[in-house]
Amino acid sequence: MKGCARYALVAGMIAAASASAAPVARADETCLSPYTAALIKGQEAYLHVWTLGEEGLGDQSDKLVTIDADPKSKTYGKVVSSVSVGGRGEAHHMGFTDDRKYLWAGRLDDSNIFIFDIGTDPSKPRLVNTIADFAERTGFVGPHTFYAIPGRMVIGSLSNDKTRDGVTGLAVYNNKGEFLSAHPMPAGNGGDGYGYDIAINPKKNVLLTSSFTGWNNYMMDLGKLIKDAEAMKHFGNTMVLWNLKSMQPEKIFSVPGAPLEIRWSLKEGDDWAITASALTSKLWLVSHDANDEWQANEVATIGDPAKIPLPVDISISADAKTLWVNTFMDGTTHLFDISDPTKPVQIYEKVTGKQVNMISQSFDGKRVYITSSLLSSWDKKGADNEQVLRAYDWDGKDLKLKFEVDFLAEKLGRPHHMKFSGLLEKASLDMPARAASR
Amino acid sequence: MTKRAAGARLFGPYWTSLIAAAGIYAAVLPLLRAEESTGPPPPGSYMLDHIQRVPAGIVLERTRFPRALSRYTTGAITLFAFFYSYCADPNGCPLAWDAFGKMREEIIARPELHGRVRLVFMSLDPAHDTPGMLTGFARRFEASASIVPWHFLTTYSNLFLKPVLRDMGEEISIDREASVGGGVVINHLPKVFLIDNQGFVREIYSNQSLDPAMILGDIKTLLLEESKANGHKE
Repeated sequence: MKGCARYALVAGMIAAASASAAPVARADETCLSPYTAALIKGQEAYLHVWTLGEEGLGDQSDKLVTIDADPKSKTYGKVVSSVSVGGRGEAHHMGFTDDRKYLWAGRLDDSNIFIFDIGTDPSKPRLVNTIADFAERTGFVGPHTFYAIPGRMVIGSLSNDKTRDGVTGLAVYNNKGEFLSAHPMPAGNGGDGYGYDIAINPKKNVLLTSSFTGWNNYMMDLGKLIKDAEAMKHFGNTMVLWNLKSMQPEKIFSVPGAPLEIRWSLKEGDDWAITASALTSKLWLVSHDANDEWQANEVATIGDPAKIPLPVDISISADAKTLWVNTFMDGTTHLFDISDPTKPVQIYEKVTGKQVNMISQSFDGKRVYITSSLLSSWDKKGADNEQVLRAYDWDGKDLKLKFEVDFLAEKLGRPHHMKFSGLLEKASLDMPARAASR
Repeated sequence: MTKRAAGARLFGPYWTSLIAAAGIYAAVLPLLRAEESTGPPPPGSYMLDHIQRVPAGIVLERTRFPRALSRYTTGAITLFAFFYSYCADPNGCPLAWDAFGKMREEIIARPELHGRVRLVFMSLDPAHDTPGMLTGFARRFEASASIVPWHFLTTYSNLFLKPVLRDMGEEISIDREASVGGGVVINHLPKVFLIDNQGFVREIYSNQSLDPAMILGDIKTLLLEESKANGHKE
């Protein structure tokens, strides 16, 4: 009987996965906006983890959890601070401002956006502002991606406040948190109106977006969703190429099966981006063709699509030679050789959890971090509902576990998106050194 | 058969229908446009957000007589950047110098822009960059001042500088490690602010986007906007 129950649970989760396109995160140092200052190219000091509150667990609130990531520290691998923001609104993704002083964190349910001061003391982030009228200002709900441009934040949303389906858009705020403009995703003429990630190539004046699903689906219980055939049709199947300056869509690519995270190659001279489609388990390449026109092409398969691995987050190496891919359902972390981005080849895989979602790597590629939570309504149930952050060293051959934080045992919640910070910067105008030197 | 494979088979119709739906979408999706155009869009064909108003501040130019910062940020289109005179970081001030130099040449080459755009540098080190010290820089560009003036501003002290930096969103820090050898290195984002004649920041360029062609397009867009506004008034 126990076995049957377990079987049913597993089967349900698999089916559930088939309906889900995991909202994951731009998390790591190699995947930040190109406008972000002061990339941490050595050892990161802290991990900031945007965490969903859990009913009956701890203070039950969404919170920003800060973990010491410096191996030389006495508190290495430990939670050093936690800032609860009140309530549970489906905490999801975060993004630094261009000066890296502030971290914006969004909630997909109530659409609140919380702005934390990270720069003053990264070991103790402070909540300094809350944007509570995002839906009223923009007409969108589900602020998902926070992508810095100079002096501003571009926010990619997942839904709208009228129908709450996947038709949505981009919003631009200044760094003070003031709304500037809204830009609907193209719907019609091939556009499905859905949104998800944002990634900019400044040199080409290009902004790429991908597409997921709306509030009606991502807030629905997964078991219910998979029985709703109509709802299951409502996932994005496109990517959009925008003119960055004019914020006008220029071209729509057909990318079936909910393309999620987008990563531009950081290698000098490269002008291509890669993404993973969650439902179809494929890698797609966006690049110029022989006629110098942008195209999107399927270039690889992730795992066995028939087994519904559900690729979620991806992380590109700084030299654009490798790509980490997490598949949620089988809890597996994959590494692809993408030195020829037109022919990615998997070269490594390891089961890193019962469910894995986010993956972030250090700029030097030596450290890899994963978290477990996808969405509160979509995470696995029972014993499979593992909620952890795991830190690994990557030696070029194997992932070696360095530490883990059990977010349930620590009564924190469900860990989702991660960001790194360095040691406290000397943000001062005082110049004793120069005075002394002259 | 694994349990997962069994599960996939059990719930297969949902998955299959979803993929099938995706496939149908793929088959019918046309391109939004037959041609793509991701270069600089034509001036006037797009809008620049009103990002923020330039804050009030007290600045100095040539003498220690106080002047309002707004004197240098309203009444004409302004390209504004922070700098310090001894900055040598190749990813910092030299980029702004280069961009401003190129923009100056572009403006000089276009009579329709003469007298309509000014360039402003403001020092991050008022203790070192005194008005007298900066006058030397200004003199280099005096010959073209009526066509495109280039102002070099400082202020009395950090007490006056800090609020301007804060409100302009220019984060700086002293790089103590790099400063050990003698000189000071001031870490700062090489931002260039495009300010309209009303004193609103309308675009901010970083070292990723300091493209003279793009800046020129933005200046022309603001001039077209001004022209349209004046036409409506008349």
